[in-house]
Amino acid sequence: MYSGYGQPQQGYGQPQGYGGQPQGYGQPQQGYGQPQGHGQPQGYGQPGQPQGYGQPQGHGQPQGHGQPQGYGQPQPQVSPEVQNWFQTVDKDRSGQISANELQSALINGQGENFSTTACKLMISMFDTDHTGTIGIHEFQLLYNYINQWLAVFKNYDRDQSGSIEESELSQAFQQMGFRFSNEFVRFLVNKCDVKTHTKMSVDQFIVACIQIQRFTEAFKAKDREMKGVITLGFEEFLSIALDCTN
Amino acid sequence: MSQFASTLPNRQFLWDVFQRVDRDRSGFINADELGSALSNGTWSPFNPETVRLMIGMFDRHNRGQVSFEDFGALWKYVTDWQNCFRSFDRDNSGNIDKEELKTALVSFGYRISDNLINILVRKFDRHGNGTILFDDFIQCCIALYTLTSSFRQFDTDQDGYITIHYEQFLTMVFSLKV
Repeated sequence: MYSGYGQPQQGYGQPQGYGGQPQGYGQPQQGYGQPQGHGQPQGYGQPGQPQGYGQPQGHGQPQGHGQPQGYGQPQPQVSPEVQNWFQTVDKDRSGQISANELQSALINGQGENFSTTACKLMISMFDTDHTGTIGIHEFQLLYNYINQWLAVFKNYDRDQSGSIEESELSQAFQQMGFRFSNEFVRFLVNKCDVKTHTKMSVDQFIVACIQIQRFTEAFKAKDREMKGVITLGFEEFLSIALDCTN
Repeated sequence: MSQFASTLPNRQFLWDVFQRVDRDRSGFINADELGSALSNGTWSPFNPETVRLMIGMFDRHNRGQVSFEDFGALWKYVTDWQNCFRSFDRDNSGNIDKEELKTALVSFGYRISDNLINILVRKFDRHGNGTILFDDFIQCCIALYTLTSSFRQFDTDQDGYITIHYEQFLTMVFSLKV
């Protein structure tokens, strides 16, 4: 097989390794469905909206809708496709891929390279040994991860414009189980699209989703009674905000 | 920051600087232009995030660029930061260590724990030396300022605690950057 890499490496490629598996942390599918009740704007002024949090899984929420479950399936060994990609991306032939190398390899639907933020964020998610770079096994997980996101993105980019507009984003969030107000979706788009403030490219989409997911987890951890409301001290707030962003 | 305030130079001076920075003569300074202008100084290449943030602060029309009208404020801003940074870099090392950062933040009126100082150093030390360079220092202070302002808006009774809904929370934490 692929000598060198060919070892069916227990450990790395294993299902419990983190990016490769649905419940791995920034993972699009599972992770998303979770926070349903959270996003409910109608919980806003209302006392303890019961339907919030506790919503039964799957209720109104198309699990795996359009998301290729099989895609991210961990493979026991590095596929030739991934090996090829790795070699293409690893320009300096160091055997490691840096955020910069990743950035020059990834183009979004607008014909631009992925943002530095997106590449650093994604590298850091798979950089298990904290070197700032990833090896081929970590790359394989990342590769699958990115492909999943691309599929999710394409699915929501209904007009296939290469970017997601506000209404498409609204629908995307809804299907992921978030119910955000239109104002919030507009705020996000405005924030992410620094040029025209009307649409999100795939890399902006990925970053936004990963961050929403992290912040939602942080929120949930504080919201033990699941009221959709939390009380935070200043330092706590700062730590969450700083820790969840890269 | 007031103790680091510089006086605004005259319009002609600013215009000269502006024209040198505006390399494509578009009448606006974008992040790339500002970035290369700043790296021409004595500092090492400027953190692009910081540049983007600074453009964002003075870009009143949300176009990702700064016109001459706003340039004076931007120029002054950078200069003030430079004075500030130098005054806290007591050993003139060109970077700020944990203790120096603490002194700086205390002098800005922040009361934050050592734990948070550690988080800040870890986050804004791009080079992994346990110290913060000028551009990252600005980044760090702006982040802190942005988050504090957004916290204050909700902390109406100023007791240091806020009670917020999920979406409010998200809006606050996303105020930082995406």
